[in-house]
Amino acid sequence: MEEIRSVKKTILLLTLSLNASLALAQAPAAPAAAPAAAPVPITDSDLKGVASPSNDDRLRGDPGGSITGTVADIAVADSKKGLTIGDVVNQIGQNKIAINFVWTLITGFLVMFMQAGFAVVETGLCRAKNANHTMMMNFMVYGVGMLAYWLIGFAIQMGGVGGNGNLGGIQPLNTEWTINLFGKAFGLFGQHGLFLTQGGTYDVGTMVMFLFQMVFMDTALTIVTGSCAERWKYVAFVVASFVMGAFTYPLFANWAWGNGWLANLGANFGLGKGYCDFAGSGVVHAVGGLTALAGAMIVGPRLGKYTRDGKPNAIIGHDIVIVLTGCFILAFGWFGFNPGSTLGASGNGNLRISSVAVNTMLAGMTGGFGAMFYMWMRYGKPDASMSGNGLLAGLVAITAPSGFVNTVGASIIGLIAGVLVCISVEFVDRVMKVDDPVGAISVHGTNGLWGVLSVGLFADGKSNYGGSWNGVNGSVTGLFYGDASQLVAQLMGIATLIGFVFTFSFVVFWIIEMVVGHRVSAKVELDGLDLPEMGQLGYPEFELKARSAAAA
Amino acid sequence: MTLVGVLITVLGFVIAVLSVAMTSSVGGRMVLVLIGIALSLIGIIRIINGAFLKNAVWRR
Repeated sequence: MEEIRSVKKTILLLTLSLNASLALAQAPAAPAAAPAAAPVPITDSDLKGVASPSNDDRLRGDPGGSITGTVADIAVADSKKGLTIGDVVNQIGQNKIAINFVWTLITGFLVMFMQAGFAVVETGLCRAKNANHTMMMNFMVYGVGMLAYWLIGFAIQMGGVGGNGNLGGIQPLNTEWTINLFGKAFGLFGQHGLFLTQGGTYDVGTMVMFLFQMVFMDTALTIVTGSCAERWKYVAFVVASFVMGAFTYPLFANWAWGNGWLANLGANFGLGKGYCDFAGSGVVHAVGGLTALAGAMIVGPRLGKYTRDGKPNAIIGHDIVIVLTGCFILAFGWFGFNPGSTLGASGNGNLRISSVAVNTMLAGMTGGFGAMFYMWMRYGKPDASMSGNGLLAGLVAITAPSGFVNTVGASIIGLIAGVLVCISVEFVDRVMKVDDPVGAISVHGTNGLWGVLSVGLFADGKSNYGGSWNGVNGSVTGLFYGDASQLVAQLMGIATLIGFVFTFSFVVFWIIEMVVGHRVSAKVELDGLDLPEMGQLGYPEFELKARSAAAA
Repeated sequence: MTLVGVLITVLGFVIAVLSVAMTSSVGGRMVLVLIGIALSLIGIIRIINGAFLKNAVWRR
């Protein structure tokens, strides 16, 4: 017995020693305690030795790309001194800003192309007899909005935003009009940037900011053309869009993004990091969606939409092919919308653009799934237009949280959005009896608000954009990750959107109703708006074929 | 009724803004903001929309 114990003891000791040696083998070697090397200063004379490709080499071309972009390409401030450390450092700084300029401009161009997506989605969901009118509203909202924003809107929104390190400062945008409330400054609107010249705003960084913010504003405006389509007077559309581009959108955008009072809820009242809306679920989509609701209420439903006892009739759009094509264009453009909202690819935290892009695509996908399965289970078919709206709803909802959440959070947010848009469309259509031909109120309004709320729930506290957000140190963190006060800041944004933005838009639409009138006559509506309002049919050949078929 | 609806909708917004001055607790502010949101939604969905539905084009 004693022998067996002894053998067991020996085996145990051997095993332990073997494990210990293995553990030692797998452990990283302890670094030798080497004395820290003193930094070697680089002097201007070191730069003289950096070889530059010869002219002969350059004349032979550079198929390998190894002699293009060298020391010879760094601008020298003083040719007598030659290349200095100062020149190199300036070049590095300019490279960072150049990367951010190019990033922000190109993503802005992608967002601009979303106008085409909106145009074909809305036109496809309307009847062929209104195709020219619907398309023309979507086309000209770009110009009308841009004019209003250049004249007035940009100054109101961004005139007091202060500096932005990613774009090289943009210091001229430094004057915010504030009132003192509860002992704190409440920023209400900016004052620099009218015509992009006033207040020193003829500035390269300011131009980048203008282009990027302008295309966002235009996205909000084009949402309204969907909810009021097929019965809206063209002249009323022009006036309403101008007012929205000049005042409605810029006011809320200033409060959220332009150093206004909502952004400063964290710094002034300890509510998380203030109202956080990374790329505009609230600023762009909820503003557009709630204005669309105000407009649709005042313009009223299309003839034939409701029976005398209030039951809704389905009025089917004329081209599901271009509707889904438009959804793809919008999904593509969203890669500009969300990742571009870092306003830079180089700098502290900006490499998170990859995370923002992946969150965007995931939420769009789960949104499409959510809507498709909801419709499939409820009505027996996977409805195409609602699946498209589900994709858009997921994208709308992830817009605010895209920079603050992880992929699981993004997927859940998108899935909920996909179901929510279906329920909301039914509610608006059947309970509120507000006629929204394209579902703009539900896609952008309801899911814009959901996106704002979801920041306060799902923000995981891992994002780090320079160590602070809205002037408060730390990362944006929602309720599920321990900060309930962020949820209150988000709810405050929702209260402002519903209580202020809707009301402001409603009053604007009301005034236009009294002055110009929103609604076309019943005859024009029944005939289709293309000829009476625009002077040309969207599809003249369709008309000819219909007549010849009838004659036959 | 439309004007009453507009006023109630704005009142909801005002209550939400006042919440930051009325209490410093997160829970208290959240309750007040939620009351404000509910009031605004009632103003829009029930009162303003209700006023429009009374004279809706499909009733004529």
